[in-house]
Amino acid sequence: MPVELTNRFVDPAVLAGMSSLDLVAKIVVDGFISGLHRSPDFGFSQEFAEYRAYTPGDDLRHVDWNVYARTEKAYLKRYRGETNTALMVLLDASASMGFASGAVSKFDYARFLAASLVYLAHLQRDSAGLIVFHDEVQNFVRPSARQGQLMRLLHGIEAAVLGKRTDFKRPFFELQQFLKRRGITVVISDFFDDPGKIVDTVIPLRFRGNELILFQVLDPAELDFHLAEPAVLVDMETGEAVETSPSYAREEYPGKIRAHVSDLHSRAESAGIDHFLLPTNRALDEAMREYFTIRQGRL
Amino acid sequence: MGFLSPWFLAGIAVAGLPLWLHLLRKFKRTPQPFSSVMLFERRLESSSRHRRLRELLLLAFRLALLLLLAFAFANPFVKHTSAVAGRRTLHVIAVDHSFSMRYGHRMQDAKARAHALVNALPGGSLAEVVAVDSHVQALTQPERGRAALQSAIDQIQPSDLASSFGEFARVLRVMDRSTGMRLDVHFIGDMQQTSMPPAFADLAAGPHTSLSLSRVGSGDPPNWAVESVSAPARVYSAARRQITAVIAGWETSAASKTVSLLLDGKTLETKHVTVPANGRVEVKFSPIAVPYGAHRGEVRIEPHDALAGDDSFLFSVERSDSRKVLFLYAGGHPEEALYYKTAMASAPGSGLVVETARLEQAAAKNLSQYAYVVLNDPGKLDPESDRAVCSYVEGGGAVLIAAGARTAGAGHVPVSGDAVSFGGGSEIAGSIDKNAAALAGSADFKNVRFSRYASLSPKAGARVIARLSGGSPLLVQEHRGEGRILIFAAPLDGSESDFPLHASYVPFVVQTGRYLAGEEDQPSSVATGTPVQLRRTRSQGTAANVIGPGGRRELDIRQASTALSFDLDQDGFYQVQRATGARLLVAVDADRRESDLAALPDDTLALWRHTGTAGASQSDRRKQQTRDRTFWRDLLLLALAAALLESIFGSRYLGRGREA
Repeated sequence: MPVELTNRFVDPAVLAGMSSLDLVAKIVVDGFISGLHRSPDFGFSQEFAEYRAYTPGDDLRHVDWNVYARTEKAYLKRYRGETNTALMVLLDASASMGFASGAVSKFDYARFLAASLVYLAHLQRDSAGLIVFHDEVQNFVRPSARQGQLMRLLHGIEAAVLGKRTDFKRPFFELQQFLKRRGITVVISDFFDDPGKIVDTVIPLRFRGNELILFQVLDPAELDFHLAEPAVLVDMETGEAVETSPSYAREEYPGKIRAHVSDLHSRAESAGIDHFLLPTNRALDEAMREYFTIRQGRL
Repeated sequence: MGFLSPWFLAGIAVAGLPLWLHLLRKFKRTPQPFSSVMLFERRLESSSRHRRLRELLLLAFRLALLLLLAFAFANPFVKHTSAVAGRRTLHVIAVDHSFSMRYGHRMQDAKARAHALVNALPGGSLAEVVAVDSHVQALTQPERGRAALQSAIDQIQPSDLASSFGEFARVLRVMDRSTGMRLDVHFIGDMQQTSMPPAFADLAAGPHTSLSLSRVGSGDPPNWAVESVSAPARVYSAARRQITAVIAGWETSAASKTVSLLLDGKTLETKHVTVPANGRVEVKFSPIAVPYGAHRGEVRIEPHDALAGDDSFLFSVERSDSRKVLFLYAGGHPEEALYYKTAMASAPGSGLVVETARLEQAAAKNLSQYAYVVLNDPGKLDPESDRAVCSYVEGGGAVLIAAGARTAGAGHVPVSGDAVSFGGGSEIAGSIDKNAAALAGSADFKNVRFSRYASLSPKAGARVIARLSGGSPLLVQEHRGEGRILIFAAPLDGSESDFPLHASYVPFVVQTGRYLAGEEDQPSSVATGTPVQLRRTRSQGTAANVIGPGGRRELDIRQASTALSFDLDQDGFYQVQRATGARLLVAVDADRRESDLAALPDDTLALWRHTGTAGASQSDRRKQQTRDRTFWRDLLLLALAAALLESIFGSRYLGRGREA
């Protein structure tokens, strides 16, 4: 893939043209790793220390051969402690995630992100699990670090289909039944709901010592909505129709969506939850690196 | 309601276009899926409804514009019943001031009645004063002030013209149509029978006119008058001429009258005659020798009666030498003039003497000293002769052109320029127009045979006054400038016809000669109101002049240089100088129809009063007052308003689209 390799970040539209998620995940994570020399401390595991370039005399047992296989460069993976962190990815498959103003829908982008995260966890030898949900749980892959877990996760992500409405209560209730040890929970959704209600729903996970990260995936058209003429908008989840005018889209909607995102961010932050906005037109590896940079700085 | 052009209603179908576009646009707004509408508020729907309402208003204006245009072109109308009662009333006070109103105190009585009418008008009434004779003259505008009306009545003076009730009724009909008011007409006069029009229907007034007739004078008063005088207008020799006069009486008993003949104010002879009751008598005066010059003659009866104006009759007579006629012959054949010269010489009263000359000498002659010129089959004139003759004619001269074979060969008639060609073979003369001045008094050209003739093609404006039996023009009357032209379709010498051998030849020569010499329009006297021609075209730069009976110039400078004619309205002698320089002394006498003072009977007056609307039934009146009132102009104004509103709403709509 000469084009992708030469580019610093990979366009989501290019990722959308790829047939398998594992390839997508590898490209994204490789791209993410390629910037590692400038940011040495990245990763989910609390014990993870760093990747370091191999120098003669280093113990070859610490060489990450997978990275070597991809990049033909030898890196040493260094840990601060034992790895027993479980990564749980909650992927929103509600109908609103199917919205797309360009080549990549929110759901596609969310799947790329989910695949990249589980792949990254796999590289760190962390256990990873998956819940695909809308108003009920569509698929559940129990967290594990065993051989073949990555393929199960990627298959689960690839097999996810759009459902109906978003309802955080039920999947999170079930999630609480599965999460018996502390770990990291990542929720990927557009979060088109009341921010207070969202935070109230997910915050119990935080109390168990879990670290909670909310990736809010939004289409650029949702952030910067334009109308050439008055239109009737139909909610993709509820089927509700609302007429709107270009002047409203131009003058009032931008403020409302910004307020919505900002409200969710502030409520999450006050609850000790990470919140990160991901527009679907942004390079995923770049976005991940930025997130992890912020996260590392915060830690 | 109906439509005068209903086919334009098909234009209503065009109104479907904006309707279709509106609906199409409405259906184009398909729902657009969006991830979540939680951030869109319900209140937007009301603004949408407002927008939809605005679009519906725009649609309504567009539909209204198209429909109004279609209806306006269909020209709708409604039956409109004009409310006569709702019209304002214009009181028209008409006073007869014709010549007969000079009788006794009729004029004063009529003015007194007019004053009384004005005084009796309700305050603030709109009234107008008109004077009636053969014309109707408005003396005031419609006025509310009585002073102006009274002053106008005071200024009315009897004229020398005859009254015409037909003209009066015509003017009332015009006022009825044009003023838009109800006319309340009061006509004050002597109601002479002789003023009635030929058809009683000509007295009908308009549908909004009521007429009241007020007769001044009582009964049918007696009146004597010099009805006519027979005197020559021109004499050309010292031979004595007899003058006769007719004295007539209307509603008179037999009476003795002294009749005097005066010339230039000097009594030449006095006779005593007895005029029979309601009859007339002819008075023959001893023949008189008329001295050279123009003279003012008068026949007078005495004693005078109450209408003194018709007790004398004026006439004019002029003594002069015979005038010369130049006969130009071609080809060196003076015998061509023989018949014509002999015919003219056989009628010494014509005052015309024929001189002959070769055609080539025309340019050398002073043509202005001739009464007219005869060109006998001239062929094509040489340029100098042509220029001389044309200049002479345009300046007021006259020419008789006999077109024979030579002229036909030239292809056009000299001076006139009419096309001419060889005609057919033998033809006899056909009809003649005896109403034409050039042939008045001529005998029919019975059995006159033409072995050959020129086929004339008169130009526009020419008048064919005699034709051959085959219909080809035989005698054509034309004008050029101020001059007169007669074109005869054969030579006058008998080379191509036997005309000179017929009895009708001499009257033809004399009468056409009198016409060309301009003597046919110079009678010894004319009735008042007769117009006298001053010039034929306005292009003539020479001024004309008219000096009236009072010795005053009747034309101002502009009229003197442009007026084509002048109406001789006053009794007396007029000195007229035409634009050609010709001078006339014209005697003008009041129309003797005015001398018959017999009034219309009461039943005739009642019939006149009810002629037209007054005599119509109520249903007929309603029918007359019902008119079609079209209102396409109103619809066009509404369409304009709709177009303006459509533009305003449309620009706002487009403005929103551009913003979007």
